[in-house]
Amino acid sequence: MSAVGAATVKVVESVTPLAVPAADLESAQWLRGLRAQGEEHDAAVARLHALLLRAAHFEIARRRQALPHLRGNELEDIAVEAADDALLSVLRRLDDFRGASRFTTWAYKFALLEAAVKLRKRAWQGREIPLEPESWDEYSSSVLGPAAAAEQGELLTAVQRAIDDALTPHQRTILIALALNGVPIDVLAERLNTNRGALYKTLHDARRKLRRHLLERGFALDDWLEAE
Amino acid sequence: MSDESKMRQALGRLLGPAEPEVGCDVCFDELDHYVELEVAGGDVDAEIPGLRAHLAGCPACREEHDSLLALVSGR
Repeated sequence: MSAVGAATVKVVESVTPLAVPAADLESAQWLRGLRAQGEEHDAAVARLHALLLRAAHFEIARRRQALPHLRGNELEDIAVEAADDALLSVLRRLDDFRGASRFTTWAYKFALLEAAVKLRKRAWQGREIPLEPESWDEYSSSVLGPAAAAEQGELLTAVQRAIDDALTPHQRTILIALALNGVPIDVLAERLNTNRGALYKTLHDARRKLRRHLLERGFALDDWLEAE
Repeated sequence: MSDESKMRQALGRLLGPAEPEVGCDVCFDELDHYVELEVAGGDVDAEIPGLRAHLAGCPACREEHDSLLALVSGR
């Protein structure tokens, strides 16, 4: 799948379901139709496209409020494009379907992914990608007592220093853009001519280094992350 | 949102999940199975280890998970 890519965060190496249910009757019918020839195949493809278009519309409806600048016809174009691209992906990867879920659930995810990626890219179209921290000041608390504020300030300084000292320039860029500045991973992947999987691997490695660097310097990270 | 809460959320995004996690490609491959297990009340962590942690660390995969769950469960 092009939008996610091939790189893997190799911490959990592979996933093998404990029990793979046999394909249900409806899923078997889908597979038979899509693998058939002639009219039966064409009818199954048309039904699949309609299913994928429904999923793309569903995704667009969920995100519509965040995209007030997009008009109805633009959204419809995105939905149709997402369904078209998802159809190609599903047909290309038909042999990957192993019956771990219903066929329709398996197919839906391709349309949801395509629609989500297109909407994220559209939302960032023409926008500059911030690759530097916009400001650390907003994370400095004005309501904490002196001791807690000092502790937080020390941690903030340590985090900034760890990002500068412990990470490679590439890891730093990816971490800041994705984790601090909120750039969507697909948008950054497109701008950097890479893919989601490769970027997430870099993000993962940067996070591990950062965590290790701070723990080695005695910061109780779990206390910070879990505090109410 | 309070300053402290913002700080905690930023730290969470910077450090990511502490647990072992799968990558985006494995997440996509397993997402349909994971969501159907969730809907059925199955033990997702035992069957698909590392995916919950990935969803905590990857906003894009989490959004797609939430959409698929909503779509198949009618939420």
